[in-house]
Amino acid sequence: MPIGLLVDSLTTTILVGSLYALMAVGLTLTMAVIKLPNFAHAELITVGAFAALIVSLRLTGNPVAVLAIAFAVAALVALLTHWIVYRPLGKQKSSTYILILASFAVGLIIRYLLFLLADTFNLFDKRIQVAQEVWVQAGPLTLTNIFFWVVPTSIGLVGALSLLLNFTSLGRQMRALADNATLAKVVGVPAGHVINITWILAGGLAGVGGALWGIYTFVDPMVGWLAILSVFAAVVLGGLTSFPGTILGAFVVAFAENTLMQALNYWVGLDFSFKPAIPFVIIILVLLIRPQGLTGLFAGRRRNAGLER
Amino acid sequence: MNIDLVATAIALLTVFGIASIIALSLNLEYGLGGIPNFGQALFVAIGAYTAGVTYTRLLPLLAGQAALDPCGATNMAPALALRTGILKTMPAVALGNFALTLVIAGVIGGLIGLVASYPALRLKEEWFLGLVLLVGSESVRIFVRGYEPIICAHNGLSGLSQPFAWLPTAQIRSLAFLGLVLVAAGLCYWYSERLARSPYGRLLKALRENNAVASGLGKEMSRVRGQVMVIGSAMAAIAGVFFVVNVGFASANDYGVALTLDIWVMIVLGGLGNMRGALLGALIVTLLDRFTSIAAIQLNMLHIDIEFNYVRYILFGVILLVMLRYRPQGLWREPVETTGVGAGEPMRAEPRV
Repeated sequence: MPIGLLVDSLTTTILVGSLYALMAVGLTLTMAVIKLPNFAHAELITVGAFAALIVSLRLTGNPVAVLAIAFAVAALVALLTHWIVYRPLGKQKSSTYILILASFAVGLIIRYLLFLLADTFNLFDKRIQVAQEVWVQAGPLTLTNIFFWVVPTSIGLVGALSLLLNFTSLGRQMRALADNATLAKVVGVPAGHVINITWILAGGLAGVGGALWGIYTFVDPMVGWLAILSVFAAVVLGGLTSFPGTILGAFVVAFAENTLMQALNYWVGLDFSFKPAIPFVIIILVLLIRPQGLTGLFAGRRRNAGLER
Repeated sequence: MNIDLVATAIALLTVFGIASIIALSLNLEYGLGGIPNFGQALFVAIGAYTAGVTYTRLLPLLAGQAALDPCGATNMAPALALRTGILKTMPAVALGNFALTLVIAGVIGGLIGLVASYPALRLKEEWFLGLVLLVGSESVRIFVRGYEPIICAHNGLSGLSQPFAWLPTAQIRSLAFLGLVLVAAGLCYWYSERLARSPYGRLLKALRENNAVASGLGKEMSRVRGQVMVIGSAMAAIAGVFFVVNVGFASANDYGVALTLDIWVMIVLGGLGNMRGALLGALIVTLLDRFTSIAAIQLNMLHIDIEFNYVRYILFGVILLVMLRYRPQGLWREPVETTGVGAGEPMRAEPRV
């Protein structure tokens, strides 16, 4: 494989992998603490992307402000879905399937509301306005300013979240809820409060992920849905509830979708139209061969349902 | 506005018949078997893709002519002319091709259902199967949209007409097709109802209600569920053939999550586990669909420019949420089974939702 293609695909892997990680940690959090495979997570990503787009078009191009508003809007939407849909359904002891179905419905509603919004204000296929410039040019390696925004922001946020989980009392409460919700409530963890914060974090991080994704590619009401398959693959690969596993999974998925795909295309002539099958292949393989994912590879024999460190 | 009432009624009934088969297939899988199939659109799509292949390859072969590559700017028109020519002039070939398409679609659908249920044997959590099916259906859709030989990638494939194109007038053609659809729907309903009331149906219900107890009695859940997946998937694929020839056009975009959600709305509205409920749900969704599209046309005539298709999906999402919240057992709840002993005491209190 020519060195240019290899280097290009590797930088894309890092870029996309860090974005997947950012989107996936929120999903891991909902899965571990709230026990909900939230398919509407896709739409939280899209909401963030649209919030960022509208702010950058109408208000300010300041990246920090754009990302902060994307976080806030997506977190608010996540909280609203919790209050309006998931909490009442959880109270009537609905099965997991019903909750998943409800999350589909929520996602559908949000997605088509965004379609209506985009239709009314002509926001299809818009980019978040950021002038693209090349910052590093060394041999085959080309890095744009976008790379230097997306990667450190994503990694920084994921790092901040793991610090919060590991070293604050809020994080300890979240882990307690993830491990054993009944026990946590018995010892006085304010479950409702902690769950609200979990939704804010999950939604907000998805929103920032969506905004960065919008900077990297384009904004469209289907953006989140197209990313969610890879994000789910990352989460499944990471063992569903493990934090380091999810992050590693995100990079593995990104690697398979970019570098591996590029290599297969170059050596075997595999067409790029097969690329969407990669998350599916990963999910199937993981579930068949190693359902616990990557967890347990480094954490010894600990294979519990809790939020692993 | 002048509406041809007879034509509208025929069209509505046709759509209702096809929707019923699809709803019954999911009701067998989830309502009865408890399999969370969040990728039912894939199995409907298999019917459509099969039709795409048979109409372009098998049909000319049956008519004794050379098949043309249906895709690409230069080939599209002659290939379409070839298809429609055969369908219009050779009744036996048209019907034979359609029958073969149904059989092939059913077999492929059943096989893929079997393959898809295989991971279920080893999954840690039950909803994984739903995830696998969902991701599978989306991956296949995106793949078909980019892979030309099946239905010409994102261009789609037209000219997949009903097998009665050789009949003289449009009304007779659609009536004949309606008859065929209703017969198929009736058969599927009869079969599902028989299955639900059979000992096998009771086994499925037992597994759905409490698989620990049923497994303890020596019933193997994964095998039984695999069998139900095969039945349901084959049924959905057959419905997919009817679906695509009714529309006349195959496009991968028709078989996304939105379709899966439509099917779920049907069975949740109608009543999980109740086959009559599935028919009721299919009827309501068909009518709602029709009304929203009429409303869209009316609004557009008043120059209210709103893409009503979006509103339709939002409406369906809201219906689903309201049903799950306030009437999770559906409008027509599953009848409680009694043993006949003990003065009609119900065998179980509440159907699980």
